Amino acid sequence: MSVYSDLRAKVNKVWQTVETPPRPRIAVGITTCSRAQGADETLAAIRRELAQRKLEADVVVTGCWGLCYAEPMVEVAKPSGQRVLYQQVTADSVPRLIDEGLDGEGVCGVLALAATGATPVQGVPSLESLHIITLQTRRLMANCGVIEPDSIDQYIGRGGYEGLAQALAMPSEAVIKEVTNAGLWGRGGAAFPTGRKWDFLRGSKTQPKYMVCNADEGDPGSFVNRTLMESDPHLIIEGMAIGGHACGASNGFIYIREEYPLCAERMRLAIGQARERGLLGPDVLGSGVAFDLEVVRGAGSYVCGEETGLIASIEDRRGMPKIRPPFPAQAGVFAKPTNVNNVETYANVPLIMRHGAPWYASMGTEKNKGTKMFSLSGHIQRVAVLEVPFGVPLRRLIDACGGLPEGRTLKAIQPGGPLGGIINAQHVDIPLEPEPFREQGALLGSGGLVIIDDTACIVDLCLYFEWFAEDESCGRCTTCHGGTQRMVEILRRIANGAGRSSDKEMLRLLGDTLRWSNCAHGTAAPTVVLNMLDAFPEEYQEHVEGKRCPARQCRGLVRYEISGPSPNLPAAAAICPTAAIVGKDGAYRIDQGLCIKCDACREIAPEAVQVVDALAPSTV
Amino acid sequence: MTETAKTPPELEALVADVKPDNADLLAVFHHIQEAYGYVPPEAIPLLAAKLRTTPAKVFGAMSFYSEIRTEPPPRLTISWCSGPACRLKGGENIRRALESILDVELDQSTPDLALGLRLVQCDGTCALAPLVRLNGRPRGPLTVAEAIRLARELREAGGNGRQA
Repeated sequence: MSVYSDLRAKVNKVWQTVETPPRPRIAVGITTCSRAQGADETLAAIRRELAQRKLEADVVVTGCWGLCYAEPMVEVAKPSGQRVLYQQVTADSVPRLIDEGLDGEGVCGVLALAATGATPVQGVPSLESLHIITLQTRRLMANCGVIEPDSIDQYIGRGGYEGLAQALAMPSEAVIKEVTNAGLWGRGGAAFPTGRKWDFLRGSKTQPKYMVCNADEGDPGSFVNRTLMESDPHLIIEGMAIGGHACGASNGFIYIREEYPLCAERMRLAIGQARERGLLGPDVLGSGVAFDLEVVRGAGSYVCGEETGLIASIEDRRGMPKIRPPFPAQAGVFAKPTNVNNVETYANVPLIMRHGAPWYASMGTEKNKGTKMFSLSGHIQRVAVLEVPFGVPLRRLIDACGGLPEGRTLKAIQPGGPLGGIINAQHVDIPLEPEPFREQGALLGSGGLVIIDDTACIVDLCLYFEWFAEDESCGRCTTCHGGTQRMVEILRRIANGAGRSSDKEMLRLLGDTLRWSNCAHGTAAPTVVLNMLDAFPEEYQEHVEGKRCPARQCRGLVRYEISGPSPNLPAAAAICPTAAIVGKDGAYRIDQGLCIKCDACREIAPEAVQVVDALAPSTV
Repeated sequence: MTETAKTPPELEALVADVKPDNADLLAVFHHIQEAYGYVPPEAIPLLAAKLRTTPAKVFGAMSFYSEIRTEPPPRLTISWCSGPACRLKGGENIRRALESILDVELDQSTPDLALGLRLVQCDGTCALAPLVRLNGRPRGPLTVAEAIRLARELREAGGNGRQA
C-alpha cells in the first residue's frame, strides 16, 4: 500500500490543477464519434484561434461523456470555478465560443449545454439536471469526459489503481470472494458469474496462465466498450491486473476489433504508462506479483467476439470457435489456462475492490447487482451511451434520449446485437436485466439497444440480421453455416413475394436445428426470426399470405409510381441513378424494368412519387 | 500507393520480429497492409517460415479476416456502413444507388482502381447514420439523393477528387 500512497501523493497536485485550473482550461472530447463529427477540426481551430489572439489557456484532450448527439463537445473550466460544457462546437463556431466563453465569467449561451462544476452558472442548467443524465448512475463512466485518457496521473488522482493496491494486499481467494459477493457477472452477454469463472482459472496449476479482455465489441449498434476504452483506458488495465493477481495469471491480452483504432492507440499508451509506474511488469506495486499486458488488434471478424474464436485469433489462426470441452480455463490461449472477460466486466472490478462488495451490490435488483452501460441508436432523437442500475425500465432510457423521431411510434427494440433478437414495442417497460429479456426469447446482451419505429419492416430487418449471421458464420459447422444460409433464402423469398404457408414450419425447424450448432453464433442466430414469428405474427402473415409489406420496405413487394404532376419531377428524373424516370410532354412515368427502388426520386418529389404494393391490388 | 518499392528486403524487415506462439500474425498483417495497402502474396511464404507453419495456414488466416486485403486497394475507398442504425435510416437504398452509379458491387473496385466500394461494420458513429466513409472520413447523415450526387462527383473525379 505504501508504494501506492507515494504514487498517489505525487499526483495529487495534478488533479488539483484539473479541478481548479490556474488559467482557463479548454477540454475537447476526442473519440471515434466526436471525430466523425469534426472534433479534430474543432481542436485545431481552438489552438489556432488562441495563438492568433495571443490568449492564455490550456488546451487538452478528454474522452466521451456518452452524449454522441451533442458532439463535438468542449468543456471550458476557469480559475473562478466556473465550468461549462458546450455542445456541437464545430470549427466554425470556435471563434464565437472564444469571444463569449473564455473571458472572465463569460458564457457562450448558444452553445452551452450544461454547467459541470460545483458553482452554478446563470442561465445554464447543471449537468445533473439534464434529463439524459438524471436517470443515470455513472460509476463505470465516472471518469468519462472528465479526465484526459492519456493521463495516468489524472486517473490515479481520481482514485485509480487504489483497487489494485488493495487487492494485492489480499490473498487471491479473498479477492475472488469479494467479486463473488458483489454479484458481478460477465457483461459480454453470457452473464456467467465472474468470481466463479476466476476460481476455475485460479484452481489450474499449469503456467503460464492468461487473462484475456474481449474488446471485440462486434455487435453493430453496440459501442459501450469503445466509450470506456477511449475515455478511461486505465480502468480496464486495473481490472485485468486485479484479475491476474486473483487467478495467478501473469500475462494478458486485450483483443480490440479492427474498427476501433483509437481504442488500440489509447490502450497501448496506457499500458506503457502503467509499466513506467510499476503498475504492470515483473513486480506490480512492489508486491512481488508479476502481470503484464499486450494489445492484439483484430482484423474484421464478428465471430472473434466468441471467446474461443477470439483465442484462436490470438493464436495466429483463423478465428474459428473451438469445440468445448476443453474450456478456456483448462486450455485456452496457446493451450494454456485462460480467462476471457468483456471490457465492461473488468471495468467493474476496480470499483468493487475500492468501495467494497456491499457498496457495489447496493445498486441494481435482487438478482442483478450494479450498473450496466447501454448504447442507444437507430430511430432515436439522441444517440447516446448511458449507465443505469439494472432493472430500470427500457422506456425510461428511450425517453431520456429524447424519444423517437417526430410523429413516429415505437415498433420494436433490438437488444444485444443481431443475434440478440427483437422485442415488440408492447414490452417497452421491460426492466433492463437478463431474465425478462430471456422470457421474451431475446437476450439483453452486451448493451446495444437499437430503437425501431413504425417505418421499419420486421421481415426486412430479419432478413438483414439473418444475412449478417450467415455472412459472419465461420463455416466450421454445417448446422450454422448451412442453417443460416437456408434461413436467408427463405426470408429473401418471402420478401420477394414468394412466401409459402409452409415457411413458418420450415423456419421453426431451422431454428430448432441451429440450436445444435457448435458455438453461440449458431445457437443464437435464429433468435430474431423466432421472435418475429412469435411477436409479430400479423406482419409476417401479411407478407406470406397477403403478399404485402405493410411498411413498404420489402423490395419485391413494392413498386414506385408517379401518382401526379409536380414541378419537382424533372429534378427527380435527373437524380435517378438508372434513368428510370421517363418524361414526355411534361408527363412522367417510371420504367419498372430499370427502377432499383432506391427512393431518391421520392425524396425529391414526395408529392408525386408513391410507393405502392407491387403484388396486391394497386391503390394508384 | 501500389507501386511503392515492393522489394523483398523491405518485406523481410517487416516480418523480422515474428515468432511462433507470440500472437504476432494479425499485427504483422496490419503492418504489411499499412506499408503496401494490402498483403502481397510474397509475404505468405516468409510468414510461414517465421511461424514454422505452412503457407496454406497463413493464407487461411489471412483470408478469414475481412479487413486484410489480398489485392491492392483503389485510390478512393468508399466504405458503406452495414450497421443497423444506417440500415433503419435508408442505408440499403444508398447501397443500391452507389452500386448502380459506380458500376461496382460491394467489395469490388473499378478496373482502373480509381474507386472501390467496401462493406464496413458499425463502429458506433450512429449519430451520423446513414453514413459512408471516403478513405476513412465519415460523411453523414446522407439522403439517397445526396449519396447519388456524391457518387457522381467522385466518379467524375476518377478517385482523385475532393475526398471530404
